[in-house]
Amino acid sequence: MRTPFSDVPRTTLTAFYWAFILYLLLPLTLMMAMSFKDANFVAFPIGEWTFDWYVKVMQDKQFLEACLYSIMIAAAATLAATTLGVWIAMLIVADGIRGQIVLFALACLPAVVPGMISAISLRIFISTIDMPTGTAAIILGHTVHAVPFVVVMALTRLRSMPGNLVDAARDLGADSIVAFFRVTLPYLRPALGGGMIFCVLLSIDDFVRTFFLGGYRPTLPMLIFAKVQGGMSPEINAMATLVLVVTAAVGLYAEYFTRRARTR
Amino acid sequence: MEPVVQFDDVTKSFGSYVAVENLNLSIEAGKFVTLLGPSGCGKSTSLRMLGGFETPTSGRILLNGKDVTRVPPNKRNVNIVFQDYALFPHMTVAKNIAFGLELKGLDNDKIHRRVLELLELVQLQDYAKRLPAELSGGQRQRVALMRALAPDPDVLLLDEPLSALDAKLRQQMQIELKAIQEKTGKTFMFVTHDQEEALTMSDTIVVMNKGRIEQMGDPNTLYGRPGSVFVANFIGETNLLRSAVLGMESGVAALNWNGVTIKADPGGLSPKVGEHLYVVLRPEAIHCSADEPATGNRIKGKIRQRVFKGNHTSMMVEVGDGALLNTLVHPSEIAQLEGEDVWVGWKIETATVIPDRHAHN
Repeated sequence: MRTPFSDVPRTTLTAFYWAFILYLLLPLTLMMAMSFKDANFVAFPIGEWTFDWYVKVMQDKQFLEACLYSIMIAAAATLAATTLGVWIAMLIVADGIRGQIVLFALACLPAVVPGMISAISLRIFISTIDMPTGTAAIILGHTVHAVPFVVVMALTRLRSMPGNLVDAARDLGADSIVAFFRVTLPYLRPALGGGMIFCVLLSIDDFVRTFFLGGYRPTLPMLIFAKVQGGMSPEINAMATLVLVVTAAVGLYAEYFTRRARTR
Repeated sequence: MEPVVQFDDVTKSFGSYVAVENLNLSIEAGKFVTLLGPSGCGKSTSLRMLGGFETPTSGRILLNGKDVTRVPPNKRNVNIVFQDYALFPHMTVAKNIAFGLELKGLDNDKIHRRVLELLELVQLQDYAKRLPAELSGGQRQRVALMRALAPDPDVLLLDEPLSALDAKLRQQMQIELKAIQEKTGKTFMFVTHDQEEALTMSDTIVVMNKGRIEQMGDPNTLYGRPGSVFVANFIGETNLLRSAVLGMESGVAALNWNGVTIKADPGGLSPKVGEHLYVVLRPEAIHCSADEPATGNRIKGKIRQRVFKGNHTSMMVEVGDGALLNTLVHPSEIAQLEGEDVWVGWKIETATVIPDRHAHN
């Protein structure tokens, strides 16, 4: 029977949903708004509006260097994670290999281990093998973190691959290496495209691992963190807004890319 | 002439399961050979062994006289048309066909000409730049065929390539496949469980059962003179009359089938009195008539079922002690209806006799 109360769960859910959206978007909107404020401190009222902070950020050598450094690390980590991830995914679907479930579980582990624990253990690990902190260590840390995402995405695609595509390539004269590069890899491309963008975002976003493994050169999150320590200013808001817009755009594109690949 | 393909006492087992047992088979160049049998009879495994995707447990496989038993698939000159075509989804039709040619190291000019020539053979010139996903089932089938033919293999292997098509298209493709085989003069080794496909296209049919060859021969022989109960049942519709030998008279055996005395030519067999035999009688070999016919065998029976099937009528005629004969007549040939009496008759030479193997055990 329909009572005034039967709509309550749905109404409540909708209310919670909007509360959630508000909670998610309000801080971001505030942050963006403050980046246009023509004054030195972050507080209401905004009063005068300006683009000066953006101009300042774009001329900030430290910021640009940190951007470049972050991008470089992201690129290296993505390349390494993709290579490793595809390899592991191929091993998991290959015939006649034992312990595939164990392999899969191990490959996925870095995605669920808390960032702090992972960071500390990696730090202990690199000092045990006498590896200095810095670029290489950061790339290692980011790679380990990104591998599970590549594995899962590559695996999903591989499982949908007709088994005899590789057989057909072999039959037509390709050895296993040629078959991999000319048939398997192109087949994986849509999944890898999405996976790689995800790796880049993970790497650019990472703070904890970078903090424990990094040297003196700051990545983007570390630079922003250091700046925040010196007090909030609309300049930081401008920086953060730039990062937010770029990563959101890339993320949405990745989502569109994988969605299109899945429906194709 | 030396055979193109030779299976030399080939056995393949997976664990304790024997998929192919002591297979001996030679295939002559330019023939359309079909491996026919129910699923699990070892026909696909044999094909995959020839393709290089399975290694025989024992025995040898020769290709043009050369031992290829352990040669990997990319190093032997045979190509497969896979059951679901296995076209590379990210490559255009032309790229798919060129794949094997590129790996052979041909120059671009030659590849281009060969691809065009093959596309013309199946009238797909206008589809060169399409992706496989943009083709119909029949078109994909043709592309897969041309891709496998492109590198000019010694033998073309076809693994149930028509099973994914609907009935009408399948019949059309059967004719087209046979035409392409004749035009190119290639040796085709075709695997199917569909006896009609095998009869339509093959020069030679190899009937397989439980990993062994049951019988091998041209379609006419297999249909007309099946060598075993399995073959008789598997190919076409048939009446299998299990009969006891009453005696021999001038080369013709008199047999008792369900209380009816029939005559049959025992062929190479020399049956003893009391022994059981099977008489294989095709439905279309039986004549039905209102009056007593003059054929060597004639029995009076009753029509139990009469089914109109368009170009023919199928009748079940009860004779003797309730035994049924499946007959096939022209719709206008006989007016009698269900429940009415009818004469059935057949010439002695139209029936084949096969021994009842179980009786000897």
